[in-house]
Amino acid sequence: MIRPEEIKMSADESGKWGMVIDQDICTGCQACVAACAMENNISFVGEKDSGYGRSMHWIRIERFWEGEYPEVKMTPNQPMLCQQCGSATCEPVCPAFATVHSQAEQLNLQVYNRCVGTRYCANNCPYQVRSFNWRDYERPEPLSNQLNPDVTVRRRGVMEKCTFCIQRIHKAQDKAKSEGREVLDGEFTTACAQACPANAITFGRVDDPESLVSQLAKKRGHGIKHLEELGTLPNVTYFKGG
Amino acid sequence: MIKRLIDWLKQPLGLIAVGIALLAVFSFAAYGISLTQQPPEQPVQFPHQTHVAFGIQCLYCHPGAAKGPAAGIPSQAKCWACHNQIAKTETSLLLAPLKQAVLSGQPLEWVPVAQVPDFVQFNHRAHVAAGQNCENCHGDMSKVTIAENPQVFNMGFCLDCHKQVAGDDHEKLVKLVDCGTCHY
Repeated sequence: MIRPEEIKMSADESGKWGMVIDQDICTGCQACVAACAMENNISFVGEKDSGYGRSMHWIRIERFWEGEYPEVKMTPNQPMLCQQCGSATCEPVCPAFATVHSQAEQLNLQVYNRCVGTRYCANNCPYQVRSFNWRDYERPEPLSNQLNPDVTVRRRGVMEKCTFCIQRIHKAQDKAKSEGREVLDGEFTTACAQACPANAITFGRVDDPESLVSQLAKKRGHGIKHLEELGTLPNVTYFKGG
Repeated sequence: MIKRLIDWLKQPLGLIAVGIALLAVFSFAAYGISLTQQPPEQPVQFPHQTHVAFGIQCLYCHPGAAKGPAAGIPSQAKCWACHNQIAKTETSLLLAPLKQAVLSGQPLEWVPVAQVPDFVQFNHRAHVAAGQNCENCHGDMSKVTIAENPQVFNMGFCLDCHKQVAGDDHEKLVKLVDCGTCHY
């Protein structure tokens, strides 16, 4: 149970890893969605289960209608992924402590081997970014050979979500440590940011004022953090209408 | 129907039947657990103790342990580099599969012994760099033929060591007991 005073306390702490998404240059090409699925061994749900609303994506491109019917306007493309909240609503509701806050990396973790599949976290997530493995989805022949060995292959009955490519974070940290230095800004990035042809997604350290994400956030100003009023302290900042 | 079954189980013969069933389940479980603790069948009865006795370092055959996540199992080319200079290779029955593999070009299919589940991301490099010796986890290889696990690689085993290594360093402890350090 998180008490209000704790929320206030954690509001003073900045996160560690963060993302800046520029909606003005996002073309909605879905390259990030594909790259994420490849990097993170996300299952191919298929037509039938997608029809039941069981499609699995860790990142998706959202678009909304604005205004009443004949005069509708489309809002800019909005890549929506786990906001890696500093005070996440998914965490306190898990009865198995499968979704916990990483103290070391300041991320919301999903521990697959603890997850018992109550789906409470997904129902409590205001961003609707968690996806549940309703089945063991088959990977047809050539695709079964492209699984990323650094990421767990989830099985049926397990919740999953964006990890900010924690396997890449660990790889970069391991490489930096073996060379006796700190992780450099821009040394690595997440799969979605790497795949983005328009460079709309930038990933890095938000607690480092010199990092590219902090610089971008300062330069653009007036970033939006989605549903900030809920006190979730998201670590993803959106820019639009610059 | 169910009431009749319960009544039957309550009489002496029924109690004996329940006892036998429980014993069967227990011994089956015990057998299953013991199976997981036995070293698997290998294509060659590889004598680790002989190689260690010759003074060959672990990292000579498993160099990946110092460089990356997987220690690696040497290819037969590496075995052959030494073994084709050893006269015994021609005559030894134990080495016949190796000779066969090199001549036919078919790889030897070693069975990994020390394994962690898929949801655990283990990195050898970090552990070697932290000054852990191979035998701390894999046991004394000068005493075994095929590698055996001296202990079950479960989370308790990992965390005991992680907590001990971190000691009073709070930052290190946070990193070493964080779920996301190994599970993602």
